[in-house]
Order: sequence, then C-alpha cells, then structure tokens
Amino acid sequence: MIVSTLAAACAAVLFSGPVAGPVIGGVATDDYINGVASDDQETKRSWTISADAIYTADGSVIENGFIRVQDGKIVAMGPGGPSGGDVIRVGAITPGLIDLSLRVAASWNTVEQGSEVTANMRMADAVDLFDEDWQRALRGGVTTALATPLDRNVIGGLGVALKTGGEPTIEARQVAADVVLRGCVGSLPSSGNRPAFQRPNSIFNRRPTTRMGVEWEARKAFYDAMVAAADESKSFPGAEQLQAAMAGELPFMVQAATTQDIRTTLFLKDEFGIPNLILDSAAEAWKEPQMVQRSGASVVLPPFTWDGRTDVDGAAMPWNTAAGLAELGVTFALSGHGSSEPDQRLSMQPLYAMRGGLDFDTALASVTRVPAEMIGISDRVGTLAIGKDADLCLWSGVPFEATSAVVGVMLEGDLVVDPRD
Amino acid sequence: MNHRTSRQAGIGSRLFTGIAFAAVATAPFAQADKLVIEAGRIIQNSGTEIENGVIVVEDGRIVAIGPAAEVEKPWDAPVVGGPELVAFPGFIEAHSNRGMDRPNENIDVAPFLDVRDSIDPINLYFEDCLRWGVTTINVQQGNDTVVAAKGRIVHPTGMTVEEMTVRPNYGLKLSAAPKRGNSRATQAQALRGAFGDLQRYLEDVVADARQGGDLARREALYQGRDMEGEKAKGRAMGGSTWKVDGLELIPRGAIDEQQEPLLELVEGRYDAFVWCGSPRDVHLAIDIATQNGFLDRTTLVLDSSCWKAADVIAAAGLDVILQGSQMDTETDPVTGEETETFVPGVFAEKGITFALSSENASSNSLWFQAARAVAHGLDRAAALDAVTTTPAAILGLGDQVGSLEVGKLADILLLSGDPLSSQSWVEHAFIEGNHVYDRSKDVRNKYIFEGQQPLGAGSASPQGVESVGVVEESNDDEDAEEK
Repeated sequence: MIVSTLAAACAAVLFSGPVAGPVIGGVATDDYINGVASDDQETKRSWTISADAIYTADGSVIENGFIRVQDGKIVAMGPGGPSGGDVIRVGAITPGLIDLSLRVAASWNTVEQGSEVTANMRMADAVDLFDEDWQRALRGGVTTALATPLDRNVIGGLGVALKTGGEPTIEARQVAADVVLRGCVGSLPSSGNRPAFQRPNSIFNRRPTTRMGVEWEARKAFYDAMVAAADESKSFPGAEQLQAAMAGELPFMVQAATTQDIRTTLFLKDEFGIPNLILDSAAEAWKEPQMVQRSGASVVLPPFTWDGRTDVDGAAMPWNTAAGLAELGVTFALSGHGSSEPDQRLSMQPLYAMRGGLDFDTALASVTRVPAEMIGISDRVGTLAIGKDADLCLWSGVPFEATSAVVGVMLEGDLVVDPRD
Repeated sequence: MNHRTSRQAGIGSRLFTGIAFAAVATAPFAQADKLVIEAGRIIQNSGTEIENGVIVVEDGRIVAIGPAAEVEKPWDAPVVGGPELVAFPGFIEAHSNRGMDRPNENIDVAPFLDVRDSIDPINLYFEDCLRWGVTTINVQQGNDTVVAAKGRIVHPTGMTVEEMTVRPNYGLKLSAAPKRGNSRATQAQALRGAFGDLQRYLEDVVADARQGGDLARREALYQGRDMEGEKAKGRAMGGSTWKVDGLELIPRGAIDEQQEPLLELVEGRYDAFVWCGSPRDVHLAIDIATQNGFLDRTTLVLDSSCWKAADVIAAAGLDVILQGSQMDTETDPVTGEETETFVPGVFAEKGITFALSSENASSNSLWFQAARAVAHGLDRAAALDAVTTTPAAILGLGDQVGSLEVGKLADILLLSGDPLSSQSWVEHAFIEGNHVYDRSKDVRNKYIFEGQQPLGAGSASPQGVESVGVVEESNDDEDAEEK
C-alpha cells in the first residue's frame, strides 16, 4: 500500500525503466535493477534492498517495497520491486539513525580547559576518527553523529556533524562543520576545580567551582560578545561565534540535565535573546515542560534507564518524558550517548520512549528527521527520499520492538553491516 | 478473615506488612484460599496456549486450567483478570546474587555460611522482581569466591527470609575464575585445596576414632549438635570418585559443620553452580566437578565470552546459565576491529540447555532478556523456555513452577499483552495464589515510567506536581479509569 504520493512517484520512476530503454550504461535493465552492475563485492556501488515495510521518517510507510541505491544516493524507491538475484530482503528499513549526543571521544582532551570560554575551538580539528565508538555506533544503526567539545568548560566550541563510517578523514566523513556552538552548565564544568589560595599550581586551581560560577562564566561570555559587537576594539577570539548564536545563525547546544540547569539555560536564552537553543541531555524537562515549551527551545533527551536515573548529573527521567514533550509540541530528539551496552544504544531508545507512551511516527522522527533538522543537515540525511544519502538502517522486524534488532547498515551506499551474514 | 491454615495466616500478615513497607499493595482478595483467574489468552508454556481461558487456584496451587467453557469455577472464589489480559507463568531467575546485603564473603572457602543471613527482604531488588514478573529467584553468593555460602531459592515476597523461602540450603557456588587478588593458578589451587582439606579432615577424624580418640564427638557435643537419631548414624560417606576408608565408623553428626556442606556436595546431595569468568575457566570447572563426583549436579554460570568453550561444555553434558550481555564483543588486538557474537545462539546451536539471567544485565527483567534474544535470532519458544521451564528444571523445580499446569504452584502473571512485547506490562502478579503485585498501586513504577512523584517524596511538592501538564494528564486518565 502506498501511503505517500512521494512513494507513488518513486514507483513511476522504477517502472518507467523498461519503457525508456532496455539498456542503461551498457548493462541490461534487469541486471541494473537487481544490482549486479558491478561484480566486485568490494567496490559494489549499487544495491537493491527490499523490505516488508519502509519507513521514510516523513510520515509515510511503503509496505512491501524496495529501495534502489546507486553511488551513495537513493535513486529509486517504491512498492513492490524486484526479487531474486542479489536483492537483499530485510524486515524493515528506516533512515540511518542520527545521534546528536553520541559522546564519541568525549573525554578530557576533547575540550579545551585553558579557558572557560573557547567558543572558537572547532571539534572538526580534533575529532578522533579511529575511536572504536564510531564502529559501535555504526553497528547500532547510527550513520550520522554530532561530535562536540564537552564537558569540562562552559562554552566548549563548535560541533561537527560526521558520518560514522567511511574513509577515516574529516573531509570524507564531514556532513557539515561548525553546526552548533556547544555549551555546558550543571556540575560538570566545575567538577574537579578548586580555588587557589596561594599561587595556582594546576589548571584545576581556577573558577568556577559552583553552578553559580558556571552560569556567570556563560553570561559574561555573551555580554562580552555583545560589547564586542558594538566596539570592534573589544573583540576576542570566540566573540564571532557567540554573536552568531545570539543572532540565531548558530544553534546554541547546552548540556543541562537537571531542572535547575534547564532553568539556568532558559534564563540565558531570554537574557541574550538566543533564538535557537538546544537543551542537551535535558532529562528533567518533564518536570516543567511548559517552561520548555514556552521558551521554544528544542530538546535532546539522554538515554532512558531502567531505574530512571540518567548518566548526566544523576538527573531523573521517567519513560513518559518523550511522550509528554510530544504532547506539548516540543521539538525533541533521542540520543544514545555512545553506550557500549547494546541495550542502551540509540536504536533501543525509541522502544523505551514508546513504552512511555510515545507514538511510533514521532519516535522514528526523533532519531532521524528531527535531529537532522535541528542541526540543519536534513538536505542530505534524516529521511528516505530520492537524491538523499543512501544511509539505511536495516531491521529484522518492526523497528523499535524488543524482539527486533538492527541487522544491517548501509552508509552512503556501502553495505557496512551485511544483514545476510 | 477466616484463615484455614496457619500458613495462610502467615502469608496474610506478610501481605499486610508488605503494604506498609514494601509499597507493593494488594487487593482485598489477597488472602483468599481460592481464586479464579480469567484471561483472554493463557500461555501455559512456550508451546501451549488457551484462548479465553480460566485458571482455578486452591491453596496456592493450580487445580484446574482450560477454556472458560470447560472449566467449572467454584462459586465462592473471587474472580480476577479479564479478556484483555494475558496469563503467563512467573519468570524464574536461575541465578542471582542480587537482594543480598553484600554478595561476597572474604573467606575463600565458606560453605558453612548461608545466604539466608544476607538476604534483605526489603531490598528494592525484590520489589523490582514483582514489577518485572520474576516470581522465583535462586539466590547464590557472588562470584568473587572459591567455595561460597549455601544458597537458597526464594519468592520475592515476604518480610522475613523464612517467608520468602521456596527451598532452603539449596546449591553451592564455586568459582573457577580468580577471586579478586588471586592469580588463576592460586584460584585453581584453592579450589582443589578445598576438597583436599576435606579429604584430610575426614582421614584425621577416622584416624582419631581408630586410635580410640573421641575428638570429633566431643567437638560436636560442644557445638551443641544433634547426635541422636538419623544424625548419629554412620554412613558410607564420600563421593563416587573418592572415599575415605573407615568413614562409616564416624557418626554423621560428628562431622564438623564447617565441612559438612562440601562433603554433601561430594556425596552428590547438593547442586553446584560453578562460575566461569572466561572460556579458560571452563576446563577447571569441569575438572573439579569430575574429580569430586558432582559433575552430574553441576550447572555452569557463564560470562559472555564462555561461548568459545561451548564444545567442551556440550561434551560434558552440562546445563548453563548465561550471565551478562547477550552480545560478546571481542576486539582484534592488531586492527582494533570489534566482532560481536550472539551468545545464546551459540549454545542453542550446540544443543546445550541454557537459562537466561538478568544478572549484570541492564535491567532486572527477564522478559526483556528473552525478547532481545529473539531479536538476535533465537526462536521464540527457545527464548521463553530459557526464562521459565529451563531455569525451573535446572533448579529441580520443574514440577513446581515454570509453566501453568494443574498441580503446580500458582505463580501467575497477568500481562497487558504478549510477554515479549515492549508495550506489555505486568498488571498483576500472583505467587502461590496470593495477589502480590498490582501495577495500578505501584508507586515507584508510576514515578519511573509515568513521572508521578509519590506525595511527600523528596522535593516533590504538590505544587510541583500540579504545575506539570503531563502529569496532570495521566492523573486524569487514572481518575477516569477508577470511575
């Protein structure tokens, strides 16, 4: 059954094939459709994958359909389609998952600690593409992730959106650089810091040492940037990025887990008129959801846990949090925090959110389309449509059921996890 | 209330205190000695289902089960359930050290200790068990040991360990993996040494008796042990693989109680649970069990990586309990490539009987473990067996629990849907016919899943609750249901 008109259009593309001519690029049409244009498995650039259901993540479902992939892009999709040959059959296809809070290599040396405010630092210059977390994320169906400088200073710098696999170079993997300005409030930016009573002898002899100090550093940074905007001589490295955040050109993504930290961040948003705020790891958004709703901020939720305690600042998050936010129309994404535990991965998060009452379509969007839109990369990833990147998550059965698993992953047309293995 | 037996009275008071302290409230019919459970679907075991079925419970056991039209319901029994619910046998945790005050003992060889003294009945773990539908738990000491304390099979309800107990003095834990601070060789030596010490002790006792000494007897009397009746009789003691000559001269009661549990293990009168933390531990486990004659009563408790020893385990004919992640991840030391292996799949393929457990896993819920096993390719029946009938059989309770059949204990769950669906909840749990869990009254469940803070808990002022639209919504829903 075709649900979307888009799908119908795709079907037309496919079935016009034989009419247009039996030979495309010197290869018989049947072979072309069946994806045997290249006989070398290693360099195979075209695939046909069929599934009981294809969830495009823009609200439509193609039941019993296929997706055709060529040179890293989706070139055709629709109901029915070929079988046999080397057509791969799976239970379901969704877009590759997108994790805005992957925490890959999120350790001490991914954030500059020489200063509390390093808004001009670029994660794109420092990200470790050989970290095993990339492999794990990819195996778990995550094909695009945001890497940001966290969480030992207050404004860490600029995040980069990357594919989780492929050639291990920034150029090859980068979807978009400098897509968010990363900030962090709560206990972490001050943890480990201690006041210097005499001569400071380590980087930890510094302020802030409290949440108040963290908030002050953030406020001071934005104030200084405002001053710098009016008076060129008062400019400083990072002022430009802070100004871009205040102008809404750059989303300001702040880790704020507990209610008090969410409040702090929303006050900052109000005070400096930051139009595009993303509350990351906002576990306790459920406690004052209307406040979040009124602010217009969007939210990234941390992984759900079985005891309700999340991994940032011990913030509590009940499983109906996502459903509650959806009800109020708050834009939110789910995240997996790059857990090595398979049960905690991003692909499992919609299951928990749905157990808490979220509907399937919103759950799917919250790990695909919505995060892509939040950081402005939805022209390439996040939904399944002709011309988009061939990033596919292949499922054994109905996605997000406890009895279903991610069995295959395609990244830019490469079958990096083969469901036939 | 008319309690017919003292046991029922005991359970009644248990439930009452349960309301007060464990926050697991019960319905008014909790004390009934008869009960009728109706369900739109009864899953008796992984292979048998009844549409629109009825279960009749009397004195804690199932006395009738079948389609509604065929089963006669006692006129005086309260009826619970409904057509929207699915009845399923309570899940069985084959092995766990949760729910204990501290799971490990410093002493290397401590089979004279008893987990009874460490189980904490109001530990949150037991409340979680009800929430997730686990009705029988084999509590064994932690894995950080050589020879551990005596274990115990319990139900997750009751204010005292005695009330919880299904089977006392059940099972001994041995560890083939190094205890903290031990090297692998030290561990192996300590494990062999435990049995060597036992043998030497018995030889000394016999030698003393032969020389006319009375040391063992006097020590037994000093310790106040029973030297009359059955306990006083000599027995041909010692295992099938080694014996101590002349042991039959010694009255059973004269054996030091510190030594007796290990002796019973050697005699084949105790089940052994042997922990293997890596595949190389499996050989030692099998070797020790073979040399000391308890191989046929041994169940291996395995870490994920032990799938590599599956052939050895299959050859030894042992059952296993799988602990930890179902996915074993290996990292190639040269390339850094990671490989994942689905552990239950390996054991299923080799024809080894295995139980899933939730120990060290991300949740206490066995339904989730079983569902994830299905997701990774295990067939549904095998996954359901691995959390119901298989653990029951491993624990020697195959005729008591693990499926819904006439004569078995009425350990029954009423679920809102299929047991492996991520949208299903345990709505009600019955243990020996007593209504021990009702989701609508589970305060902590409402907090963790529905964001409802219990009144007076922590900083949750009524004002905080009222200001939250989401919570108001769900409160309204519930009010509507109650009306």
